[in-house]
Parts: sequence; C-alpha cells; structure tokens
Amino acid sequence: MNPTIAAMLPPAIVLTSLIPGLLIFALREDQYRLRTQLNMAGVFLKLALVGLMLYGVNQGLSFRFALPFLPGGELILHADAMSLQFVALSSVLWLATTIYAIGYLEGAPLRSRFFGYFSLCVSATVGLALAGNLVTFLLFYELLTLATFPLVVHRGTAGAMRAGRIYLAYTLGGGTLLLMGVALLHALTGSPEFVPGGYLAPLVDSHRAGLILAFVLLVAGLGVKAALIPMHGWLPTAMVAPAPVSALLHAVAVVKAGAFGIMRVVYDVYGVEPMQLLQLTQPLLWLAAATIMYGSIKALQQQELKKRLAYSTVSQVSYITLGVALLGPVAAVGGMVHLVHQGLMKITLFFCAGNFAETLHVHRIRQMNGLGKRMPFTMAAFTVGALGMIGVPPIAGFISKWYLGSGALEVDQGWVIVILVIAGLLNAAYFLPLVYRGWFMRAPETWPGDAKLGGGIPGRRETHWMLLWPTVFTAVLSLLAGILAGTDLSPLAWAQLIVQREFGL
Amino acid sequence: MNLALLSMLLPLATALLLLALRSRSALLVILSSALALGAGSGALFQVVDGGSETLLLGGWDSPLAIRFHLTPVTGMLLAFTALIHFLVAIYAARSRHSQTRHSDYWPLSCLLHGSLAALWLSRDLFNWYVTLELLGLISVALVALAGPKAYRAALRYLLLSLMASLCYLLGVALLYGQYGVLDVGLLAEVTQADHTTSAALMLMTLGLMLKAALWPLHLWLPPAHAGAPTAVSALLSALVVKGPLFILWLLWSQAAPAEIGQQAGFLMAVAGVLALLSGGWSAMRTPYIKTLVAYSTVAQLGYALMALGLLLFWQIPELHVALWLFVLAHGLAKLSMFLAAGEMQATLGSRRLTSLKGATQTVPVAMFAFAVAGGSLIGLPPSGGFLAKWVLLQPLFLEPSHWPWAVGVLLGTLASAVYVFRVVSLAFDRAEPMGPNYRPDRFAQWLTMLPALLVWGMALVSEPLIEWLTGVTRVSA
Amino acid sequence: MSLSLFYLCVGTTLWLLGLHGMLRQSHVLRRIIAVNIMGGGVFTVMVALAIRSDPVDPVLQALVVTGLVVAVSATAFALRLASSEAVAQREKQQEEAPR
Repeated sequence: MNPTIAAMLPPAIVLTSLIPGLLIFALREDQYRLRTQLNMAGVFLKLALVGLMLYGVNQGLSFRFALPFLPGGELILHADAMSLQFVALSSVLWLATTIYAIGYLEGAPLRSRFFGYFSLCVSATVGLALAGNLVTFLLFYELLTLATFPLVVHRGTAGAMRAGRIYLAYTLGGGTLLLMGVALLHALTGSPEFVPGGYLAPLVDSHRAGLILAFVLLVAGLGVKAALIPMHGWLPTAMVAPAPVSALLHAVAVVKAGAFGIMRVVYDVYGVEPMQLLQLTQPLLWLAAATIMYGSIKALQQQELKKRLAYSTVSQVSYITLGVALLGPVAAVGGMVHLVHQGLMKITLFFCAGNFAETLHVHRIRQMNGLGKRMPFTMAAFTVGALGMIGVPPIAGFISKWYLGSGALEVDQGWVIVILVIAGLLNAAYFLPLVYRGWFMRAPETWPGDAKLGGGIPGRRETHWMLLWPTVFTAVLSLLAGILAGTDLSPLAWAQLIVQREFGL
Repeated sequence: MNLALLSMLLPLATALLLLALRSRSALLVILSSALALGAGSGALFQVVDGGSETLLLGGWDSPLAIRFHLTPVTGMLLAFTALIHFLVAIYAARSRHSQTRHSDYWPLSCLLHGSLAALWLSRDLFNWYVTLELLGLISVALVALAGPKAYRAALRYLLLSLMASLCYLLGVALLYGQYGVLDVGLLAEVTQADHTTSAALMLMTLGLMLKAALWPLHLWLPPAHAGAPTAVSALLSALVVKGPLFILWLLWSQAAPAEIGQQAGFLMAVAGVLALLSGGWSAMRTPYIKTLVAYSTVAQLGYALMALGLLLFWQIPELHVALWLFVLAHGLAKLSMFLAAGEMQATLGSRRLTSLKGATQTVPVAMFAFAVAGGSLIGLPPSGGFLAKWVLLQPLFLEPSHWPWAVGVLLGTLASAVYVFRVVSLAFDRAEPMGPNYRPDRFAQWLTMLPALLVWGMALVSEPLIEWLTGVTRVSA
Repeated sequence: MSLSLFYLCVGTTLWLLGLHGMLRQSHVLRRIIAVNIMGGGVFTVMVALAIRSDPVDPVLQALVVTGLVVAVSATAFALRLASSEAVAQREKQQEEAPR
C-alpha cells in the first residue's frame, strides 16, 4: 500500500465520524433525510476503512500518522493489533447504535444536537483507540468526556441534569488525575510511542516513587471510566440517559475507554516486568476482583431493569482489568477478548431494555412477565445476552471466562477461579429470573403502556424495525463470536494475535 | 524599533485625533488597531530575525536616558495587545448590546492601548510608574462608562489604584536613593541583598500585586470588572492586569538579587495557589454571570503568580515559558468568555446565572464560545491553557519534593472545571428555559467565538511556540 | 541629624499616615485626602534624597515634578467621580423616598 495513504488512514477513520458530526450540528431539525444520509455515509465509510486497515495490520503493515504537539510528545495516531480490535468493535457497534438511535428518537426534539454529539463521541472513541502515545490518548480521553456529557443530559429533565452533573464530577475528576499521571511520566521520559513491553523499564530503579505515583494516578483516572470501585458511582445514575446512549456508554465508548486505557498502560507503557518489580499487579488484581463481586451483589438488589444492567456492567468490565492484571498471556487473551464480547452482549441487553421500555413501557423487573409471547425476537436476543453474560457455552461470554480461568491457573492465582465461579453464580442469580419471567410466566392482562410501534404483532413487527434489527444483529454477533471462536475471523483469534505481539511469543 | 514605536503611537494619535475632532468614530479605531496589529507583528518578526533593539529617548545617554527596549517578548505583547484591541473594537462597534457605541469608549480604549504599548517597551522604573498611573486612570474612566451604578466600583478602583501607585513609587524612590539608577538593566548590575533593597522591592511588589489583582489584594477586581460595559471588562481582564505582571516579572527576574528573589518567590507561589483556590471558590458560589468570569480571572492569575514565584524559588527557566503561555492563553480565553457572558446577559435580560437555563437553545453560539473558552481555562487538551499548564507541571514532577505544588494545580483545575461546567450544565437544562428579551445577535455571537478558537488553535503551533519562548525568555528575559 | 534624614523621616511618616487613612477611613473625601498625603510623603522622601548631593540631584527633581502633575490630575479625576457618585446617590434616594 502507498505509504502516504497508509499514513492518512488513521486520521481518515477519525474524520469519517467527526466531519458528519460537525455538519449535522449545522442542520435544521426537520432535515431528517439528509441527517440520516450523513450518518449512514459516515458509518459505512468508516467500516470500509477499518476493514482495509484490519487487512493491512494482519499483513504486518504499519499505519502511522504524527503531528508535532509538545516537546517530547507528538500527536500520534497509529494502528496496531490492540487498537484495531477496539476500533473495529466501536465501528460495528456504531452502525447498530446509529440505526437504533434513529428509530428510538423518531419525532423527538433536538435530534441534530443529539446526533452531532453522538458522532463526536464515536470519533473520540476511535481516536482514543488509535492514539499512539499517552499525550494523544489523554487528548481523546478528555474529548470523550465532553462529547458524552450532552448525550447524558439530552433529555434535559431534573433527573438527567443530576445524572449529568454526577457524571461530569466523576469523569472530569478522573480526567484531571489522568492529566497529572501523564504529565508526571512525561516529565520523567517524555511521551514516546506505545511499545509492546513498555518503555519505562530503564527508570524502575532511579524513579521508583515517581512510577508508582504515576501508576496510581493513571489507574485512578482510567478507573473512573472503567467503573472500578470506588469510582463507579456515576454509572448507575447515568441510566436516565436515552437507551442508545446507555448502550454507547456501557458497551462501546466510555467504560471501554477506561478498560482499554488500563490495558495500554499495563502492557505498552509499564510492561510486564516493571509491573512486577514495582509490585503494582496485586493491588490492581484485588481491586478488579472486588469490583466484580461488588457489582454482582449490587445488581442482585436492583428492581429496575436498566439499573440491574448497569451494575452488571460494573462487574463485567472488571473482567477485562482482571485479565490484564493477571499478567499472563492466556489471561491477557481472556481480558482482551472480553472487551469485544462484553461489548456485543451488553449492547444487546441494553437494546432489549430500550425496546421493552419504548414499546410496552416496561421498566421494572416484575413487569417483565410473559414478555416472550408479546416480543419473542427481542426476548430471544435478551436471552442470548443474559446467558452469554453468565458464561453458558457456546455464547461469547463463555470463551472469555474460560481463558480468564485458565490464565489464572497459569500464573498460580487459583483464588481468581473462586471469584469467577462465585461471580458466575451471582450472574445467574440476577439474570436467570428475568429470562424465566419473560418466557415462562403469564403475561398481564394489560401492559403498562403500548406505544404501538411497528404494528404490535409478535414476531417481525413486534416493535419498530429500526429498534428490532440492530438488537437481533448484535445478538447474532455474540452467538457467532462464541461458535466461530476457533476460526481465524473471530475476536478470539485477533486477541491471540495481539497477545503474540505484546508478549513477543 | 520603528515599527514597534508605530504600534505604540498609532493608537495614541488616534485617541488625540478623536478628542480633537470630537468624533466617536468606531471605524477609525478599528482601522488604527488593525494597523497597530500589523506594525506590532512586523516588529515581532524584525526582533525575531534581527535580535533585540534599544532606543534611548531624546538622545540622552544612560543613566539619564529613558530606555525603550524591544525584545521578542515585548514584540509578542505588542502584537497581542493590538490583536485583542482590534477584536474588542469590532465587537464594541458591531454588537447591538454593547453599551459603548457613540461613547467615550473609543478615545479611551485607544489611550489604553497606547499606554500598554509604552509599558511593554519601557525598561525604566519611573516610566513604568507613569504608564501604570495612566493605565489606572483610563481603566477607571472606562469602568465608569457603564453609568452611575458603576461609579462606586470605579471610585474604589481608582483610590486603590492610586494607593498602589504610591506604594510602588516609594519603592522606586528608595531604590533610586540606594543605587542612583532607574533603568532595570543598570539596576541588575548593582543591586545587593540588603534591607533597603528588600524593603523597596516589597513596596513595589505590593503595589504591583494590588494593581494586577493578585491574591490577597484582588478584592477590588470582581465588582469593577463585572460592573463595566462588556467590551471594557474584556479589555481589562485580558490585557490591563497583565501590565503590572510584566513589570513584576522583569523586576524580579532581572533586577532583584537572587537571594531575596528566592524568599519572595516562595511567598508568591503560595499566594498563587491560594489565589487559585479562593478565586475558584468564589466563582463557584457567585450568582452572577460576569462576576463568575471576573473571579475566574483572579483564579487564573494565580497560575501566573505561581509560575513566577516558583521560577524565582527554584531558578528553573522553563517556567518563564509557562508564565507567558498563561498570559496569552488567558488573555484570549477571557476575551471570549467576557464577550460571550456579556452577550448572553444582554440577550437574556438578566445578570443572574439562572437565566442561562436552556441557553444551548436560546443563545447557542455564545454559549458554545463560553464553553470552548472555559475548556481552555480548565486546561483541556489541546487548548492554549493546557499547553501552559503542561509546561508548568513538568518541573513540578521532576523531583518528589516538588510534588506538593502539583496538588495546588490539581485543585485549581478541579475548581475551574466546577465553575465552567456550572454554567454549561445550566445551559443544557431544558426545564423552563428563559426566553430571550431581544432578538439574538448572530454576528456578535460568532465574534465571541473567534478568540476561543484562536486559543485552541495555539495547539497547531504549540511545539514551535514553546521552543521559541524557551529560547527567547532565556536570552532576553 | 542631617536635614536629609529629617525630611526622610517626615516623608515616611506622612506616607504611613496617608496609608493609615486610606485603610481606616470610609468617607470618599477623606480617602482622597489620604491618598494625597501619601503622595506628599513620597515626594518629600524624593526631595530628601535629592538634597543629599551637591548640586541637588536633577533626576529626582524631575521625577517629583512629573509625579506632581500625575497626582494633580488623578486627584481632579477622583473628585469629579466622587461628586458624580454623590449626585447619583442623592437621585437614587429621592426616587426611593416617595414610595
């Protein structure tokens, strides 16, 4: 491939959502068709470019774009295997979420503003995934905070404003800590590019205190978005946002940005050996394990569907951190593949929750009785997502948990298996009742409400088609990711590629 | 040097012309500030290419002479002053809500521009006194343009400003009595760390801190800046407070003996941190839009004071760069913020923050400008404010014993995030938005956006800018 | 005690008195007078420093003259502003009185 084109590809991927986003801001409210066309053009263009890049990276090509920014810290966008996994995930899910959001917001006010920020949010996520050093990462991380805030408060109600303020307080606080951590590392060595194995090894002896403080600052800053306890408080309150936004926050953009950042910091900034020398792994491992347990227990106590899903996210995202903190290659595969798997399954669940709420005004768990008869497709997708989260084969979640478990054994941390088993049981305890209610309990005489979307006939017309098909699409993807895990096309195969490159196997 | 003089004399001549003709022509002012901008930029290019130049006024030799010195920093400030004056002049002429059309604003703002230019060029303690006094009087007159309700704040400002000048002047007299020179460059060669010098420097510093509204001598600033007409608030916050800061910088980094500098530097840095906190705290609590912006000036000047103090305390030259980046970034961001605040306040018909409910719908562009400029104040990458904060943070992290200072920056950042987003989150509140009193003025709103975009645009030239500043502040200081 | 030192003390005392007045007085006129006393103090100090040498130091004299000009104009401005403020106050009170 021509080197100039190869260099322009990473910024082009960011711009395919940024430019439509900025154009959409300028549109009038009633320019519905043009807005949809702009959105979809951006989505498909991005997918095509990402496909091209996936092919290139698989072939061993490098895509790198750099601009001068700070002394010792350029703005670098580059594509390696790890970043592409996240880019591909967010691009595919952006497709599903955009269609879903168009259906969800049909007729709602201020759609230009919504879709503008929506595109900015995806641009920030992709930029963050492609960021080639800590300074660039920081830039997109802060941009992501700014772009998601208007989405969280989109409804503009008192509850939304409260959630937005809490969200900002946490994420801006985290962003400031991250800034401090990045500045601290920059003061010590500048901000070179991420390299497998990290670049801090030469400093371990001379700047021990500095490196430990920087790690604490970075993890605290990233942990806010990754919803590690005790920085998780914003996530459950942010539930008031519209369903596509929740899907975006929980599955694609925000929590994943945090988890992805932790991966980058551990593997490409510190590196495995310095992590062990500085004794930073154990605390991170405990924190992840504690978050998994806490999230599961809290989820069990929730009576509202979206709240239960939110606490489930708190717990599930920490599997990624857990896999990273175990520092072995097998566990790393588990953590990285879970980034994709959790995204697919959780977005399915949130789409389903949104469908229930929009179509039949079902918000609480006890209202879910008999939903399977009225909305069989959605309920089937919900079941796939829920079983996947528990870890039932052959759905995607099983694969991640399998690798995490064997990874823990590989590095002699058998107690992690206990955590995984207990968390799995808790998962079952908070998801299975919902599935049972949906399929096996009798439906009420009347639903809490009926928005008459789609036609209201169980089956293909159970709800608006733009709400239904993205849901089915992501559910099928989570099934396929599990069934086809052995093939070269699966997220698992890609995660193994990343680990081979990261650990130099 | 000729271009630099032109950049100073053009606005002065325009002011005199306007007064002589009894004209209040905005066009003339815009034209002259644009020309001054051209001349200032030309002077900057010359000095970057050809090095610093000196002019001895009236042909007298030193030590009698009054010396003008054109350094890269001076060139940069000349261009910067003209740019800000130019933008504000367009706003003042064009906005329907500006209270300054057909008023004495025009000659006064030109005089202000000229006196500031003279201040940047001077290197003489007494000449600085004269320019400071001029700046003070003109600023007060400008504040008083807002009408009888601003007289009280203006009068208070005037008296404090006079008091500050006399503190400064007594310090100058003591220094002259001790060493017999007034020129900073000559002074730098002879000063010694004795009691008279310390006392003189302390008096001068107190006076300058009062004039620059540096904590704890900042209490006059919020009522004066918030009460002034919008264009005036922008000029005062973006430019006028930077004048005394410039003198403080030259005085301490050049003329003062290093031993005194170290002690004073520590105190200044502490005052800087306290300014960040107390300014931020007040900005979080005030119910008025423009007062919030004014308190944020107090807080942001804390960064500059901190940079200056730590510069003297540790003798780290990188901090010169941080100081000047703060001045540039804050000037542009504050210009945008004050204009946006004034525009929103006038359009919505209330000085209160609560009137901004739903401002993303009623005054979207001005609100966006406010948020973008606020992002620079918080220090979000890649804005100019971020660059300044980044350069300031680097030396703070080099040694574990410096880390506590970084906590100050951390708290200051959080405080600024709170007060900026206090406004922004109100703007997204859709419950009972306030209807605008007047038809929103699109052009003026876009104009408020321009400086905010400029401050973020600093990212495009960040690396050369930082390296250039590192070079020039080290050599020319 | 030399003449210079005597005037130096006088000047400093005047300056301190003026400062005290500025900080403690609240009436506008008193504060304007206080500022003028401070100014007088500084100029006395300058003159006292000037007479230490023979012939008298011309630079300091020039400075004092310039300073006097600045002080006079500043005082005039302050007085004008104070009277305007007083008028504004009175009008405000008269407006409120009938209610």
